[in-house]
Amino acid sequence: MIELDVRNVFKSFGGIQALNGVNFRISGNEVIGLIGPNGAGKTTLTNVLDGVYKPTGGQVWLKGARIDGLPPYEIARRGLGRTFQVTRAFRRMTVLENMLVPAMALHPTARQRDFYRKSMEVLEFLTMEHLAQEYARGLSGGQQKLLELGRLLMLDPDIIILDEPFAGVHPMLMEKIYEYIKVVHQQGKAFIIISHDMESIFTLSQRLLVLNFGELIADGRPEEVKRDPEVIEAYLGEEEEEEEGVVVISPGEEGAWEGTDA
Amino acid sequence: MKRLLDPRYIAAAVIVALLVALPALLGDSPYQVAILTGAFFYAILASSWALLAGIAGQFSFAHMALVGIAAYTAGLMGRDLGTTPLMGILAGTLLAGLVGLIIGILCLRLRAAYLALFTIAFSEIVRLWFLTEFQFTEGSNGLMLSKLWEGISGVQEYYIMLLLLLAAMAVMYWFAASRFGLFVRSIREDQEAASAMGVNVVRYKVLIFSLTSVIIGLAGSVFYHIVGIVTPNTMEILQMSLVIAMAVIGGMESLLGAAVGAFVSRVSLELLREINIFGLQIELGAWRYAAFGLLLMFTLRFAQNGLVYPIIDRLLMRRARGETVAKRLQAEGSMAGEEDS
Repeated sequence: MIELDVRNVFKSFGGIQALNGVNFRISGNEVIGLIGPNGAGKTTLTNVLDGVYKPTGGQVWLKGARIDGLPPYEIARRGLGRTFQVTRAFRRMTVLENMLVPAMALHPTARQRDFYRKSMEVLEFLTMEHLAQEYARGLSGGQQKLLELGRLLMLDPDIIILDEPFAGVHPMLMEKIYEYIKVVHQQGKAFIIISHDMESIFTLSQRLLVLNFGELIADGRPEEVKRDPEVIEAYLGEEEEEEEGVVVISPGEEGAWEGTDA
Repeated sequence: MKRLLDPRYIAAAVIVALLVALPALLGDSPYQVAILTGAFFYAILASSWALLAGIAGQFSFAHMALVGIAAYTAGLMGRDLGTTPLMGILAGTLLAGLVGLIIGILCLRLRAAYLALFTIAFSEIVRLWFLTEFQFTEGSNGLMLSKLWEGISGVQEYYIMLLLLLAAMAVMYWFAASRFGLFVRSIREDQEAASAMGVNVVRYKVLIFSLTSVIIGLAGSVFYHIVGIVTPNTMEILQMSLVIAMAVIGGMESLLGAAVGAFVSRVSLELLREINIFGLQIELGAWRYAAFGLLLMFTLRFAQNGLVYPIIDRLLMRRARGETVAKRLQAEGSMAGEEDS
């Protein structure tokens, strides 16, 4: 049973309170959207969950064990994997070597030939098998995003955090990422998807978390959250129309749709 | 059998055979044999630095300080404790490994320029200590070391350094081609991403510092027993720069490229002491280092992969790119697939 329990987490940088008592819990293979304006603390929360930052207060529990304060590699091995807002492929290594790193780190005693087979299976799924011997630096930005997703499959975590997976991605590639999320979700994995792409977030998410100034201001079903006055004021803006399940939203005055997070 | 007919193995066998036969081909000339022995030492230094900086991305300037620590340890043990050279070499190697391990731990959070500055400062402190503690280290006069054994010949010393070079290369190639090599390369590329992929960054950073320190500690303590004297000048930044330049000219992401680069550079620097152009004798003296510097600048500007490695790659290794497990795994996977079908 997948279970991530974030209990009253605080994180400050000097005088800046990046996370201010964040609480939520994931049980089972949910697909969760995490949204909020720039500087809301989304990436900080991700960095706390995966061990890059130690929280200044609160606790994080994964599958019954406390993980806050553990190094990222240990948390990754325990079943929480992530991608980065800016793609971080191992650029001077081949695509295949990129795939082998998490597999070999996770299974030091397994047969090496299994790694190769699994890597090629994942690359085939991502339609990247022909690029196996190419250096990652030669891939397009979208292909590097796919490579990051592939590495995560090799790591085989229970909870996957995708930080801006759709940013700057071609629509065809976006379809591929949708498919990735759906297939991997069906395999029993939970997702936390951070994105400013509202259409994707509302299409994919079963549950929505909204952060604003380090506080979780909403946690619920997307339909409920998008009608929450506090969320509308802080981030979503006014809903203009809704046709055939597609939500079109215009940003509110304080809403921020582009750019990078803190 | 098929593997033995691989051009890379044939080339390696030919080169080793040539190096073994070289003293005889040179008529056992003590001067030339001594130069080649020194070239082997620099080949070990440059290739181990290529492993540390080029493959693992840890730009350390502490190599020569660690060599000095190992050599002085061996010398001081022999002089003050009356131990055999073998015991001194063992102690020097272990101490260099221990200091390397400590540097690795201290530098865990330091990257690129900060790591370089830290290790430069460390090297200078070590050098100044050996320079100023005259009563203990003989200061700038240098510390005498006994020969490895009574009556050892220059040719025997040549073979010892050659053996050390081959052993060091074998260990480093094994490391670079193993999962450890894959992990340290991922750390070089992106430490946070490697950690998020389950790689224990601390362990492998410390491991690479320790491994290279042991290798150069062993090489240094043996080599200075051959030379017979070690001085604080050994640990000068200039010496370290020379090693780095050799590795860069050879190809700092290639163990073999760096080793060949160092070997050729060391021999060339010796040959350039005095040149003869149409009967005109010219003593280049320190100017040969200027020529060496120009070559380094040319390399950095026009051939970031080094001058030697692209040649090796083109001749021998194009089809076996990368000293990593990836290619081997692919071959194994294909073989397994054939077996299955």
